[in-house]
Amino acid sequence: MSAATHAQDHGHHDDHAHHPTGLKRWLFTTNHKDIGTLYLWFSLTMFFMGGVMALLLRAELFQPGLQLINPEFFNSLTTVHGLVMVFGAIMPAWVGFANWLIPMQIGAADMAFPRMNNWSFWLVVPAAILLVASFFVPGGAAASGWTLYPPLIIQQGISIDMTILAVHILGASSIMGSINIITTILNLRAPGMTLMKMPLFVWTWLITAYLLIAVMPVLAGAVTMLLTDRHFGTSFFNAAGGGDPTMFMHIFWFFGHPEVYIMILPAFGVVSAIIPAFARKPLFGYASMVYATASIAILSFIVWGHHMFTVGMPAAGNLFFMYATMLIAVPTGVKIFNWIATMWQGSMTFETPMLFSIGFICLFTIGGFSGLVLAITPVDITLHNTYYVVAHFHYVLVSGALFTLFAGAYFWIPKFTGKMYNESLGKLHFWLSVIGFNIAFFPQHFLGLAGMPRRIPDYALQFAEWNMWSTIGAFIFGFSQLLFLYNMIECIRSNRKAADNPWEGADTLEWTHLPSPAPYHSFETAPVVK
Amino acid sequence: MDAFKAVFWSFFGVRKKAEYDKDAKQLTPQAVIAAGLVSAAVFVLVLFGIVKLVTR
Ligand code: HEM
Ligand SMILES: [Cu+2]
Repeated sequence: MSAATHAQDHGHHDDHAHHPTGLKRWLFTTNHKDIGTLYLWFSLTMFFMGGVMALLLRAELFQPGLQLINPEFFNSLTTVHGLVMVFGAIMPAWVGFANWLIPMQIGAADMAFPRMNNWSFWLVVPAAILLVASFFVPGGAAASGWTLYPPLIIQQGISIDMTILAVHILGASSIMGSINIITTILNLRAPGMTLMKMPLFVWTWLITAYLLIAVMPVLAGAVTMLLTDRHFGTSFFNAAGGGDPTMFMHIFWFFGHPEVYIMILPAFGVVSAIIPAFARKPLFGYASMVYATASIAILSFIVWGHHMFTVGMPAAGNLFFMYATMLIAVPTGVKIFNWIATMWQGSMTFETPMLFSIGFICLFTIGGFSGLVLAITPVDITLHNTYYVVAHFHYVLVSGALFTLFAGAYFWIPKFTGKMYNESLGKLHFWLSVIGFNIAFFPQHFLGLAGMPRRIPDYALQFAEWNMWSTIGAFIFGFSQLLFLYNMIECIRSNRKAADNPWEGADTLEWTHLPSPAPYHSFETAPVVK
Repeated sequence: MDAFKAVFWSFFGVRKKAEYDKDAKQLTPQAVIAAGLVSAAVFVLVLFGIVKLVTR
């Protein structure tokens, strides 16, 4: 009730308002489209920062021996690269798409809590500044890996406190964002937009938001315990004081595994929008997709132990997590089949969004399979902490989450800006990304199988060949992302008008009921959905 | 009972169109959520049982 009144007040308010321009517009905006834009530019910025760190890492690993950077700095780079990509690039990018799309796709005028929405965004900026600034304090940035394991994390300097504070702020922002998204979806749907008519992107975000609310406080608790262990004499994770460092791992991964689904579920939603549009067929098994997403979300809470097969859990524990992990792959696999069935006998065309979606299906499947390999306890005992794990999670996160983010950006930019991107440049971006990505990460499977540990600046000579290839691939991949940046900016500045619905097969409300570009205020009177 | 059936098929990830239409008409979200949580607990217990069995 209060949500509805709030939204009405807001709509009413803005009818008269001539909104401020320039910097003030962005600082004080409560408009879901403005906030979505802020999130998207923010995450793209962080993506390039994290990318520079990755290229520094790969440059050092081009050859065995130490050439460019010292080991401490190398460790800081691995840590902050991971944190920046997870919390600064992928998660905020999904929130950006949520802000833009959810109100339009359910026929709402805006998000339920527009002012909280502004606050959610502006909180992530100081967090990012803290993370990046931590490179410049005495002792250098956190060097523990993005998993922040004690006891290593207890020993370092002030940068750890900055990292902990950044994680707290990001958590608060995510929780506010989630409350906003859930309330919007549950309360502000247009008449006739029943839950089971919602586009899958809305569904996957609804479920993601619940996951975020469930696990961000757990992460906050874990890092708070680190903070008190560091400064207030507690011994949660200190064996000498009666604590237990493996407890941190349990708590962290109870957050960490649902977190990986937080990054991938919205991707499932985007692919479920794009594949039907370019196959010109309705999504195969819509209801199954909704159900499978919900199952994945619930089951994601009972598999965290697969990150800890080597810490010495009892055999029964290892077996439990092994079985549970393998079973969770079933609903994930079914989704892949649903997308393929959607394409089956469709009249397909291969514009850039479709290319990235198909790239996602192929490569994400490889990541799923390497996950299954790692889920086998005895296998993981040899592969844990090797480059095989690095290969696995880059297949699911880069060719999974990141490729779908690109797919979504190309797909919706005509609606966001009213302009059309350059198709051949988009295709070039896709092919260079796929080729560079595979050269960079496929050899890491071999390195891992051969025993190369992750998070090291130097390595034994037998790993030299594949590391060289991996670095070459990484540079191809990294630099081709500039094409994306150029394409987006050029698109915004161009005068290639996009049609209201440039994609024949797209049938959600933002395409069928709104012009391109979508007006600043859309659906002030709700559409009626049949 | 129907809610449990729906949840079971969703763990697997497939559902017949006709069955789904029936679900959509008959089931309330509350029933599905309750069935989902109970099923998740049962799932854990069954797995745990199997583990106990094989580590005996
Ligand atoms: C078929 C589904 C999946 C299975 C069976 C699976 C299994 C695993 C296992 C067993 C590990 C631990 C490896 C080790 O440290 O020794 C792992 C690590 C990881 N997985 Fe997956 N995974 C799956 C899907 C995903 C998805 C969808 C994502 C993200 C979108 C993801 C992200 C990660 C990350 C980030 C790590 C490494 C964490 C770290 O140690 O830094 N996985 N996975
Ligand atoms: Cu996991």
